[in-house]
Amino acid sequence: MTDMSKTTAPRNSLLKQDARTVKRNRAEKRFKAYGIAAISAGMLMLVILLSTIIGRGTGAFQQTFLTLDVQLLEAKLDKNGNRDLEEIKKVSTFGYAPLMAAAMEEKVAQTGIVTDLEPKELGDILSKQAAAQLRDFVLENTDLIGTSVEFRFLTNSRVDGYVKGRVTRESIANDKNINVAQLDLVDALRADGALEKRFNLAFITGSDASDARPEAAGMGVSMIGSLFMMLVVLALALPIGVAASIYLEEFAPKNWITDIIEVNISNLAAVPSIVFGILGLAVFINYMHLPNSAPLVGGLVLTLMTLPTIIISTRASLKSVPPSIRDAALGVGASKMQSVFHHVLPLAAPGILTGTIIGLAQALGETAPLLLIGMVGFIASNPPDGIASGLMDPNSAMPAQIYEWAKRADPAFYERAWGGIIILLVFLLTMNAIAVMLRRRFERRW
Amino acid sequence: MKDNVISEMDVTTDKIKISARDVQVYYGENHAIKDVSVEIQDKTVTAFIGPSGCGKSTFLRCINRMNDTIDICRVKGDILIEGEDIYDSNVDPVQLRAKVGMVFQKPNPFPKSIYDNVAYGPRIHGLSRNKAELDDIVERALKRAAIWNEVKDRLNAPGTGLSGGQQQRLCIARAIATEPEVLLMDEPCSALDPIATAQVEELIDELRQNYAVVIVTHSMQQAARVSQKTAFFHLGNLVEYGETDKIFTAPEDPRTESYITGRIG
Repeated sequence: MTDMSKTTAPRNSLLKQDARTVKRNRAEKRFKAYGIAAISAGMLMLVILLSTIIGRGTGAFQQTFLTLDVQLLEAKLDKNGNRDLEEIKKVSTFGYAPLMAAAMEEKVAQTGIVTDLEPKELGDILSKQAAAQLRDFVLENTDLIGTSVEFRFLTNSRVDGYVKGRVTRESIANDKNINVAQLDLVDALRADGALEKRFNLAFITGSDASDARPEAAGMGVSMIGSLFMMLVVLALALPIGVAASIYLEEFAPKNWITDIIEVNISNLAAVPSIVFGILGLAVFINYMHLPNSAPLVGGLVLTLMTLPTIIISTRASLKSVPPSIRDAALGVGASKMQSVFHHVLPLAAPGILTGTIIGLAQALGETAPLLLIGMVGFIASNPPDGIASGLMDPNSAMPAQIYEWAKRADPAFYERAWGGIIILLVFLLTMNAIAVMLRRRFERRW
Repeated sequence: MKDNVISEMDVTTDKIKISARDVQVYYGENHAIKDVSVEIQDKTVTAFIGPSGCGKSTFLRCINRMNDTIDICRVKGDILIEGEDIYDSNVDPVQLRAKVGMVFQKPNPFPKSIYDNVAYGPRIHGLSRNKAELDDIVERALKRAAIWNEVKDRLNAPGTGLSGGQQQRLCIARAIATEPEVLLMDEPCSALDPIATAQVEELIDELRQNYAVVIVTHSMQQAARVSQKTAFFHLGNLVEYGETDKIFTAPEDPRTESYITGRIG
């Protein structure tokens, strides 16, 4: 044994790191620093993104309103005085304009504001939507004709912009829609309290509006379009996707045909969505003659797009169920199908649900295929009556509506596009939160 | 440890339960079981021993056709249970597995309640007409698996929450709840501590009263303790088969002797 001890290398002290260890430790520190740098860069981008969206978009949820008392003059609205709805309907929104002008004049006189604007110019600070709002009210409440009613009208988008700071006295030099005298009036009315910024529910529930009335545009109708599309996607993609995955994963023989199918499904997940759009245009609209711009077609196209996502995540979660559970079920004499449906599927359910919701969220935010099947249009219609009409009538979708607003010229629409993004993100976050919750809930069963 | 103490109980019947003739098993190109012929007696514990990869588990899984679930596995030859060829094209493996219960190496209770674990087999085979009968079956199975006293107050607790040894006895209860004729056990104690192992071994000995039990084990001591018959597998061949005490005290084949004395393995 004494011979052995001679041949061993001199023992290094453990208290001092040798050169190799120092080098390895340095490499590890460097790698950690890279990782932290990468994460910080990502977080920074996220913060910039979110703060931009919130900073620019929250304005869309507030709108400038003017409170006015309007005299519903019988002489103008119901000349014969018999409250016949058909006759009252004959008065168009143009017939209501003088009432608004008069109400404005009265307001100005009441508050003692000095202005040399014509009555018509006074009325122009209100939205073009205001006359329609007044007319709709009168048609519903014919018994109030002849009385004075207090209304809260939307103001013109320029006035709104001025109140929000988007429009300034300098920037309107070449603007025919508003002049400095009107801004003076706005300032005076603000001081009076009649004109104020407040929460605008119509942005969430309302429909799109024409270029002349950006202040009246809302996401409501496109939300319904998205909802109907998601119903179609859920009703088709979930059962088809889960059935396909169960078959492929549990029953299909492993041979070159299933290998090809598997590769193709993975490839489909990477196909650009616009390709699905043109496929939908060719097959569903041109060949099957389904209606243009219908949520049904949008849903079918998005189903094609979502299927690979659902199949891949379902197969992954089926694969993650331990084979011992299958053995256990088969061992007590369960058939293949019983073992899958009684034991494997319940264990895979959280994964399947998560995958489905992520797939749906993806589909909800998809715009490109909708461009091709005409779901980006000006849809100012009212909400649909019933499921059939919801599926077959032309509609828009949330991301398509955002795209539509973003490409319009008026900066007021630009603000609404950012606001729309906030709504869309809220939906996506909610769906992802539900996915996480479901997973937690089911996984904690035991 | 009572190492190498041969079970004192003798074989009480000569009735042949399982008879295998010239069984060959291939995994793709790999010839895993070569020409195995063996006759397994009823109401007897038969142990399969041998080094890892010798084919003892593969052969065990042939007896209830669990190998059918492996695509590349092919089985040739005949395995008869009471004279009926289980590889006959008319035999549904699902029906076969109700008759030939199996307990696996790793305890694998379903992630359901203890009650549902045991009741699952009887339910899918329609062995009970009502809840009371099912309760009866579950209680009987749990009692026979010697776990009733430990779980009777928490039948609705998850089966996965039991200790390893309890889980394995629960799996045995699950296997015997369907009233099988043969019970296959694939290294049932390999994941258990010595105390749980002793409990399961005791249980195996009691189960012998009603079933033909076939057990694969890596532990020669265990084979010696629980079995009446022992088969030694080596490289896919059945080297020697006979009374357990004879295999362990006077093996005929030199390979058997080498294995049980620890020279190969």
